[in-house]
Amino acid sequence: MSGWGKYAVLALIVAVATHIVAIFATPTVLMDVAMQRLGAPSSHGDGWHLGERVTQNSRTIVRPAPDFAYSACVYDLSRGSYSIHVAPWRDYWSLSLYGANSDNFYVIDDREAHDGASIVLVRMGSAPPDHAQNVVFSATERGIAIIRRLAPTPDSYSDVRSITSADSCTGLGE
Amino acid sequence: MLRRVLAWIVAIVAGLVLGGASAWAALTLGVSSFRSHYGAWSLNRAAGSTAAGPYTRAIIARYGLLALSSREALYFNLDRDEHGQPLSESCIYDLTGNAIATRWWSVTLYANDSYLARNDDHAASVDATRISASDDGVWRARISSVQGDSVNWLSSRNARRGFSLTLRVYNPQRDFAPSEESLPKLTTVSCASAS
Repeated sequence: MSGWGKYAVLALIVAVATHIVAIFATPTVLMDVAMQRLGAPSSHGDGWHLGERVTQNSRTIVRPAPDFAYSACVYDLSRGSYSIHVAPWRDYWSLSLYGANSDNFYVIDDREAHDGASIVLVRMGSAPPDHAQNVVFSATERGIAIIRRLAPTPDSYSDVRSITSADSCTGLGE
Repeated sequence: MLRRVLAWIVAIVAGLVLGGASAWAALTLGVSSFRSHYGAWSLNRAAGSTAAGPYTRAIIARYGLLALSSREALYFNLDRDEHGQPLSESCIYDLTGNAIATRWWSVTLYANDSYLARNDDHAASVDATRISASDDGVWRARISSVQGDSVNWLSSRNARRGFSLTLRVYNPQRDFAPSEESLPKLTTVSCASAS
């Protein structure tokens, strides 16, 4: 190959590679940003962070719903499995899990778990802890757990705040 | 020698720019191909799905990060009026709907940066628990920069031009079938003339 042809071929190869990398990296990069904004992974103790009531000043996540109280727990399964518990709420609530690639791979809501939800989150391919019940496997090592509780008024949001001490998102160690 | 090195560098930079631009274009332009349209509303059924392909996943991450799967919730978006024009703060709209076959729904107004409009009107959304409807379930919400005498109000103050609405449908009933007729209808009431 001579002349400008080899440069055009190189530009094309770089363009295709850049395109593929950008498409595949977009969810991971945006999830990394979300995880950084929502807090460091919790290894011990209560890892839930109840977000402030969504207002015009909320800029953490795009298109936030002002009618919900959000709690988030950033997990890192390289440190072992996680025990996650969600206290019940009088109206709609759900627990959803998102992998580092942004996949929503698990959801449970109050229709299925009227009295709250308790799961053990385990890295895919790892053995669950002994006697663990309600095991959920995550395809990615890191991710975000989110509790949504319907709380469209300031009073209902305050009520949510009063029950979140019963939520837990705890690393179980190696 | 220097000229050849520069040519290689230019080729690499051109490839990076072309690849980045094509990825951006794929996400920006491709978002419409992943949506179903019901009148002015659009729905992306792949939201939050683990089966989503890389393009769908990237689009969802960009336009609806941390969305729920369609089993749990459906997200409809509307960003044009009945004439195909971008929604604008300088216009007044009416949003009219019937009872929706779902456990809970809401309509939220987002400025063109996809966040709530920067105003302190506390009127960013209307929802099934607070909407005032007639006996037959019909409701009407005013979308405007000032409330006036409207009972159900979505404030567009500081939303500027290009804002959008998101209809959230949580735990839809089995017989919920989105259609132009079953989803709320937007009507332009008036627009302030450009000065």
